[in-house]
Amino acid sequence: MNDTIEGAAENQVARYATAVRAAFADLPAPERELLLEDLEDHLAEVAAEDDGPLAARLGAPEAYAAELRASAGLPAPGAGGPAGPRPRLGESAVARRLQRSWRAAVAHPAGRAIVGFLPELRPAWWVLRGYLAVQAVAVVGSPLFAGSGLSFPVPALFESQLLGLLATVAAVAASVRWGRQEPGGVGRRALTVAGNAALALFGVALLLQLGADEAAGDYDRPGEEFVYTGPVSGLRTDGEEITNIFPFDADGRPLRDVYLVDQDGDPVVATHYDNGYLEARIPLDRDGNEVPNRYPQVQHELDPATGQRQPGPTPEFRPPPGPVRSP
Amino acid sequence: MDTTQLLKGVLDLAVLAVVAERDGYGYDVVRRLRAAGLEEVGDASVYGTLRRLYAGGHLTSYVVPSEEGPHRKYYAVNEAGRAQLAAATGRWRSFTDAMDKLLGTHGEEAA
Repeated sequence: MNDTIEGAAENQVARYATAVRAAFADLPAPERELLLEDLEDHLAEVAAEDDGPLAARLGAPEAYAAELRASAGLPAPGAGGPAGPRPRLGESAVARRLQRSWRAAVAHPAGRAIVGFLPELRPAWWVLRGYLAVQAVAVVGSPLFAGSGLSFPVPALFESQLLGLLATVAAVAASVRWGRQEPGGVGRRALTVAGNAALALFGVALLLQLGADEAAGDYDRPGEEFVYTGPVSGLRTDGEEITNIFPFDADGRPLRDVYLVDQDGDPVVATHYDNGYLEARIPLDRDGNEVPNRYPQVQHELDPATGQRQPGPTPEFRPPPGPVRSP
Repeated sequence: MDTTQLLKGVLDLAVLAVVAERDGYGYDVVRRLRAAGLEEVGDASVYGTLRRLYAGGHLTSYVVPSEEGPHRKYYAVNEAGRAQLAAATGRWRSFTDAMDKLLGTHGEEAA
């Protein structure tokens, strides 16, 4: 209802969570994340229950952390392992702070996902790098070839896009080959880093130039129009995707095998949730055709650890007491 | 001896019993323990216990998308958890029987 109140609650949750996480800085990141993955959700739920400070309900963050640690069966901080972080040569306060921010970023699920994902982007960079190298030669060398400069998306060498295309294929192949051979000696690695940096800079410049050209209106591709695709399909409530429907009768008994159709008699189909955990299975009729509008649809949770399937939960619902009348 | 001390010894059993009754996510388990009368149970203790039981192979978990917010990690008791629950329930009963016998007369006097 009120943005300021909600914002304050979020701040409170973030502050409390940071203090709790700080108490687990000695744990390796995966272990810590397993322990703290739903900390923020928990705090938000507690904060939503009443207006008082979190510490009034849960105690000080340090006490919360100690309780969590003890009940999870983890040793007290400093017990067993090396006492505190090892001091290293040349470690300044700034470096430590950077390191801490980095650790915090990596500890966050989103941060972890990004860092884990980066190596997978390397082959894509190798391909892009080959392309950028040819564009760089084309653009930088255009006065020599008497060319017109930037040609996009296919670079032009000696005013020939065919030549540019062939050069791109060759350059991409060479770049991938180079990438797959890394890491080499120090000299080779330095060359790679310098080349990558130069081509990345060139790529940014290229993007800026394309953006400027487009803004100036002299860069357009005929036959392409801006198309508004309209709202996303599927059933929604307040913009939230509906993934399943659970009908209940007036006494609050869940109904099974209910068919839903719209004003035209067409089937009402909820979005099938598909995130690797939930597995929606569309029922089939006698002839093997899908029956997409029979509810509730059976949704199975797939336990990522064991691969076992179990039916998802049925939400609870109580209809209003007494007869319900239309106004 | 206050309830907090007593709870420490039996929280595993209480959490297993609640989750065995119905799958639940962390705060849901906290709420149901409180509703059952264990009002002094600490949030962090329940979360920690769930993690430990999960790490020990007594619980499985799965993620359920929530209508009003984050996806929630639900816990369910598996075979090992059920066996553990049965064994711990047996130990608890014989322990409370013994304590009842010890305290029985005192309780009546006080009443």
